Amino acid sequence: MGGSELLQFVISGLKNGSIYALVSLGFTIVYASTGVINFAQGEFYMLGGMFSVWVFATFGLPLPLAALLGILLTAAVGVVFELLAIRPRKDGDQLALIIITVGGSLLLSSLARHFFGPDELALPAFTAGPSVRLFGAAIERQTLWIWGLTLVAVVLLNWVYNKTKLGRAMRACAIDRDAARLVGIDTRMVVTVSFALAAALGGLAGLSVAPLTQTAFDVGARVGVKGFAAAILGGLGNPIAAVAGGLMLGLIESMSIAYLSSTYKDAVSLGVLLLVLFVRPQGLFTRSRKEKV
Amino acid sequence: MRAKLLRFTPMALITLAIAAGPLFIDDRYLLKVLTFVAINVVIVTGMALLFGYAGQISMGHAAFYGIGAYASGYATTTLGLPWIVGLFAAIVFSAVGGVLLALPSLRLKGHYLAMATLGFGELMKIAFIEAQPITGGPDGLGGIPYPRIGSFEMAAPVGTYLLAWGIAGLVLLLVRNVVTQRPGRAMRALHGSELGAMACGIDIVGLKVRVFTVSAVLAGIAGSLYAHLVGFVSPSTFSLHLSVILIAMAVVGGSGSLAGPAIAATLLTLVPFADAIIPGLSRDALALIQDWEADVYGLIIILVMLFAPGGVSGFMRRRRAVARDAS
Amino acid sequence: MSLLEVRDVTRRFGGLTAVDNVSFDVHEGSIKAIIGPNGAGKSTLFNVLTGFDQPCEGTVSFKGSELTGERPHKVVLRGVARTFQNTQLFEEMTALENVLVGRHARTKTGFLAAALRLPGTRSEERLARQEAERLLRLVGLEEWSESPAADMPHGLRRLLEIARALATGPTLMLLDEPAAGLNNSETSRLADALYRIRDAGVTLVVVEHDMGLVMEISDEIVVLDRGSKIAEGPPRLIQKDPEVLRAYLGQEADDE
Repeated sequence: MGGSELLQFVISGLKNGSIYALVSLGFTIVYASTGVINFAQGEFYMLGGMFSVWVFATFGLPLPLAALLGILLTAAVGVVFELLAIRPRKDGDQLALIIITVGGSLLLSSLARHFFGPDELALPAFTAGPSVRLFGAAIERQTLWIWGLTLVAVVLLNWVYNKTKLGRAMRACAIDRDAARLVGIDTRMVVTVSFALAAALGGLAGLSVAPLTQTAFDVGARVGVKGFAAAILGGLGNPIAAVAGGLMLGLIESMSIAYLSSTYKDAVSLGVLLLVLFVRPQGLFTRSRKEKV
Repeated sequence: MRAKLLRFTPMALITLAIAAGPLFIDDRYLLKVLTFVAINVVIVTGMALLFGYAGQISMGHAAFYGIGAYASGYATTTLGLPWIVGLFAAIVFSAVGGVLLALPSLRLKGHYLAMATLGFGELMKIAFIEAQPITGGPDGLGGIPYPRIGSFEMAAPVGTYLLAWGIAGLVLLLVRNVVTQRPGRAMRALHGSELGAMACGIDIVGLKVRVFTVSAVLAGIAGSLYAHLVGFVSPSTFSLHLSVILIAMAVVGGSGSLAGPAIAATLLTLVPFADAIIPGLSRDALALIQDWEADVYGLIIILVMLFAPGGVSGFMRRRRAVARDAS
Repeated sequence: MSLLEVRDVTRRFGGLTAVDNVSFDVHEGSIKAIIGPNGAGKSTLFNVLTGFDQPCEGTVSFKGSELTGERPHKVVLRGVARTFQNTQLFEEMTALENVLVGRHARTKTGFLAAALRLPGTRSEERLARQEAERLLRLVGLEEWSESPAADMPHGLRRLLEIARALATGPTLMLLDEPAAGLNNSETSRLADALYRIRDAGVTLVVVEHDMGLVMEISDEIVVLDRGSKIAEGPPRLIQKDPEVLRAYLGQEADDE
């Protein structure tokens, strides 16, 4: 395979990888503060795209504003979901909460079908224009947007985590929720904020890739599973690992299309998920060994 | 003696009513729907063992349903073998799949099984589409014959109805035996306190693997029945959506009993086919029900887990306790 | 040959050595206590002895064969039972059922046998039930037979867990702070139960903080401090041992 062809696959892999990284971050943030795998994360991805398209098409707002509103609306859904479906389950039984998120995933996607309709919807590219050429490979402008927005999101998140009081509270909850509560941290608020952030990140992913792939009420599940695989690959609970896992998964997928066949690209990420779970469940980039029974 | 007789009477009456069904019901559609109920009772009983007794969750059980359906379908069509061999193949392949998935997953902490089953379920869906020579690819596998027992063909609607309910009844009986004796106690102990169970000499990983495998086999048996009832299997049936619906049935059924999940499976299976039991139901009403089916399922899962986590089983338990206190 | 031989057991967690080269024997038919100030490593040692944790170095032998590295349920099958500091009862199951689960170790009806109601399953169930009822009577809990464990008062829950541990048919039983949270009369009742168990042929190892109980019932005491064994011997010697006094008094001074 020629150099520029390979580069093309790498670019594609990093593009998808950024999307997976954002979704994976959503999983990790919620897991860190609640110990719960939020199976509705994929639906936040879906809602980001759907809300943005809806706002853009219905109210004729400029694209950046529509996108921002899309993210905010998705985050709002995340908050409402947490308040109504997660918080009432006060005993924090993780299995029960996981099941609730599974129900939430089904509910959100079917409500989306009723509200937005069953058809695919499209968002225009953020900036029109030809692809950028780099060493013989083509990078679509939207891809640059995806990378840029992902970078901004990661930098912002990093700032929140390390430089704000909220971030400190979130990190404390991730280490030990009971201890955090004992030192006066409002753990319930941290949980709500986690869901809001996870939804915003997922929504950002969804809307930034919508111009390339179209969006519909049922796109959440597939990307959700991949974002989830990325989070496991990197290591649950660690935001840096989540991003690294996302990018890695994107590249692995891309390479499998390059060297195997595109039919099996979904199977590859699923295979990666199972492989990591069975061989190194704590993920590649975390050192925690508390996973075994 | 009299007390024992009194206890068995409701069960006996229900069994009689079910067996006599085809005598009163000549609506083919209704009989087929009721056959579906039997198939779902089989698979949900397996989910109930896994979730209600052992406290585990599988997000890919549709995969075992599919393995059973395809194994049975392939054996009876491409290989031309008798139905009973197909059923046997369904059992063997789902058992093997169950063990292979459970062994590595169940060594790990609680929710890792949920994740692994999700991955497995999605992977199997791809396998059903890609393994064209065996599964017929995206177009599916057709021409699956009705089961034959000796020279009897169990055709739809009556034959398949009786076969499905016969198997469902047998499954319930066998599982009830398991649940009321040592293995069932071990499962409930596992659910109550894993540490405590270990301290009683219970091999908790082995037990979880065994329970998972049994539930996979029950799904496989249900899959085989489904394949022979419908005559045709396609990959789109065995989706995450179906797995989630099965979770909903198990959740509504609740933990600690088999009757609860069976009742839940019956009710939830009948709802999208409401026109079969409500003769005057308009097409629009039915279309409305089917349109909102998924939303309701999602909502039910959340509501039951938040406000009635015992499900139907818990409800029945409370009524029995009230009756006991009153006497 | 002693019933239980603990040789050079060491357990480290990263930089912390929780148990440091601990060795001692437990003789058949005796009651041995393990005591020590907080943080002495008693719980860690306890978990190593019962298979709930593995040592980094050292061995544990039971009846002459190695016990180290066996998983908890295998340890129980070998005849070593344990109770927990935070009782691990099956809350939704009745007291009788809790003890019945203890019989799991000495029965064998599996999935297939149970499903098909093979011959032998019924009598095994009947015998298990009889044994469970006997053990409940032994600890004086027969009136709680049909009540869920969740309904039982704190003082009786430990007795239930002891009955359950006895149901596993052990030769050696390890109890983790059985007297914690018990008042004087309950502790006295516990001591009587322990004597009865010892007389029935079960060797006992007790981790305890209640010095009164320890001095009264133990044949021998092992004292741990900061992971190491600092003294071992009969109660009257331990009471006067200067190392022991230093460990406890020093600890109390730090706690002030």
